[in-house]
Amino acid sequence: MGKKITIDPMTRIEGHLKIEVEIEDGKVKDAWSSGTMARGFEALLIGKDPRDASYVTSRFCGVCYSVHQICSARALDAAFGANVPWGGNLIRNLIMGAEYIYDHLIHFYQLSALDYIDIMAVANYTGKDRDLLAVKDKIVGLVKANDTFPLTPRYKPDEFSVRDPDMVISAVSHYIQAFKMHAKARNMGAIWGGRTPHYQNIVVGGVTSYPDINQVARFRTMLDEQKKFVEEVYIPDVLAFGTGPLWPLAKMGVGGGHYNYLAYGDFPKDQKGQNLVFPAGVIIGLDPANIKVDFLNPDDITESVKYSWYRENNPVHPYKGEQVFDLDKKDAYSFVKAPRYKNNAMEVGPMARMIIAKNPTLLDLVSKGAKPGAVARHAARAIETKLIVDACYTWLDELLTEMTKPGFKIHDTEHWDPPESGMGSGFHEAPRGALGHWVKVKNKKIDNYQCVVPSTWNASPRCENGVRGQYEESLIGVPVPDPDNPINVVRVIRSFDPCLACAVHIIDPHTNEIKKFLIE
Amino acid sequence: MSTRQEGDVLSDKLLDGLESHGINRRDFLKYCAATAAVLGLSELEFTTRVAHAIEAASKKPAVIWLEGQDCAGCTISFTGILNPPAASIILDKISLRYHETAMVASGGLTETVYHETVKQGGYVLIVEGSVPSADDRFCMVGGRPFREMVEEAAKKAAAIIAIGACATYGGIPAATPSKGIGLDKALPGKTVINLPTCPVHPDHLAGTILYFLTTGKVPQLDKIGRPVMYYHETIHDNCRRRAHFDAGRFLKDWNDPEQKDWCLFEKGCKGPVTISDCPVRRWNDGINFCIDCGSPCQGCAEPGFYADMSPLYTAESETSRKIWAMREVGLFKKEI
Repeated sequence: MGKKITIDPMTRIEGHLKIEVEIEDGKVKDAWSSGTMARGFEALLIGKDPRDASYVTSRFCGVCYSVHQICSARALDAAFGANVPWGGNLIRNLIMGAEYIYDHLIHFYQLSALDYIDIMAVANYTGKDRDLLAVKDKIVGLVKANDTFPLTPRYKPDEFSVRDPDMVISAVSHYIQAFKMHAKARNMGAIWGGRTPHYQNIVVGGVTSYPDINQVARFRTMLDEQKKFVEEVYIPDVLAFGTGPLWPLAKMGVGGGHYNYLAYGDFPKDQKGQNLVFPAGVIIGLDPANIKVDFLNPDDITESVKYSWYRENNPVHPYKGEQVFDLDKKDAYSFVKAPRYKNNAMEVGPMARMIIAKNPTLLDLVSKGAKPGAVARHAARAIETKLIVDACYTWLDELLTEMTKPGFKIHDTEHWDPPESGMGSGFHEAPRGALGHWVKVKNKKIDNYQCVVPSTWNASPRCENGVRGQYEESLIGVPVPDPDNPINVVRVIRSFDPCLACAVHIIDPHTNEIKKFLIE
Repeated sequence: MSTRQEGDVLSDKLLDGLESHGINRRDFLKYCAATAAVLGLSELEFTTRVAHAIEAASKKPAVIWLEGQDCAGCTISFTGILNPPAASIILDKISLRYHETAMVASGGLTETVYHETVKQGGYVLIVEGSVPSADDRFCMVGGRPFREMVEEAAKKAAAIIAIGACATYGGIPAATPSKGIGLDKALPGKTVINLPTCPVHPDHLAGTILYFLTTGKVPQLDKIGRPVMYYHETIHDNCRRRAHFDAGRFLKDWNDPEQKDWCLFEKGCKGPVTISDCPVRRWNDGINFCIDCGSPCQGCAEPGFYADMSPLYTAESETSRKIWAMREVGLFKKEI
């Protein structure tokens, strides 16, 4: 019989997550992922002016605020029949790009990196670099003052932890620099977004922020700084760690989980919407030697609530918005629901996107021996950040051209007022993965609102078929030689960039389906 | 190198702290001797007093930061501060004992440091996110209700700061089935510094912390607990589009460059009834703020946010109608 350990709260993520693992023979034998907080936004949206949705849903999450705002706006665009002018889409894309850069930087440095280094190794740095010596003084000073919070307490560094003083001190220096870099990336987004977190400018039909040339110049200058950090610091750090001291973890494929991947695709580089930065697709049962990407059919998405705190059977008509929580439900252990694609548990996010895109840099690492897992996930995230940075330059140039043409528009004014009735779905590739919002409008008000969020896919509990969610599956077999020091468990979970406030949402449970609403 | 002695009035902790700032024991004692002479105090008495004062001051104040039904936006907002840089606040200025988004510890290790800090008392308690009032199980942390954590941590806190709309007055979760409440209702009778806006403005939080560190006191608060230094005038009082409001030039079409700086009242702006310094301080290191990107103020600094402000993008809400009525009777005109 294995030993069960609980990690609650899981820290350095967004939101409230509990992870339980059963350990036997020094490895994880079984795992449970549990979202432990819920609010119930969707219920409050019922009966509201539909235009409120993009503002309100932004507050699902203050880390990935923009993704909900844009996805909601896209769902509203569809429901209202709005055509966002290319100028409006360019501005939306640019501020989404700013979001990606900030989000991936904060994830690697502030949320993940400290799991892989023994920070105390900085005391052994013998180099002469002035900036690094200042870092050494700072950390040593904290140790001497006997106050190293929040860097301690911590799990004990294990055999995979990096102890080389030069590598560690460089990482810590970058950790400190990263605070400023992602702050500036957010500020860059605020040039048109108004403020971050929680952009203000994305609404149904386009954006509210009429651009001027100086803003474009400012965005570009700030983007240059971000590009430099991404290319000269972030990506090299990830690759140095991943192909260096963490290569054994990469080759073991620790944290692989189900080898199923899903992406809705996003970020058209042109007005026709054909040339996507992230192509759409589905892979079930990845064979790295022969990657086969299938067409994604959203109608094949279902959601199980067997192990989630929601009512199983609802005799009321499904499109009457109502309270569907059931906190006393037997066997339930999470507020997160269990989305499945053709009954498969899928992974969404950077790894899914880069594999579906058959990204050469990632595939090169795979060919050298890196299996899908925590380390490969960090690499995929870094790789796609550069793709987004490059795309931002394209969009900036386009915006400059567009805005100087007569008749430049950022908003579809004709479709600003809510329709009498309508329905629409919006899809977006958020930093953490595939995101969908669905809205139904009746009598000019929101009649129903549903979402399936990337962390819902990844953090999901078991479904009615007993298939584990991706976090749960990815923990199976993870080495935990010391049950009091489950450092590999947290490394794996954090590699997904969990966002639990996002993951939890209401859906009408008795349909268990994410199909389009019934047409009345 | 310091020359420490057995039974020294200067503790190891103090000497380490001084050393980390490049001051050795001998220099410190020379300073004490000279100053004691000026003040006419015995050298021993003065040295002891100063040592204690410096030791107290050089200890970074402990901070417990709790997150309830939150979106973590306030945390992200705070990490965006550049003056002073967030990294320096977190590492140099405060002793961040507990913060689930930032701390290295996971699971049970977090509980150890949390309980030790609560036992010591005297920390600054920061709360982000609402407390569910419909049922405790809507927010569980470490296997127990978040509500319990808040009540427990509040007992021995030296100061309590509620940040963001959710923790102050309930925010958006107030309107959900979980019925989120802010500290105004979760900790009745307690003095709480309220920093609403959604998310919290990093300057407001950093400034409040720095004020407390410097004076040991809570800054002057308005009737609903907001620091007067940030909350004393409405958005409307300082709005650059005010002339357009007065003259009746309301933006209707976001595509028209001629209208782009016009008043956003018809798009749902709640600025006239919202108290905050956003137009003066702006956001994201002064780069922009809501109104300047063409988006109406949604009153996120007010207790009525969000329900009272809906619908957000028209002038049809009760709040907007009230604003219009005030305008019509000349309530916004300057007094002569």
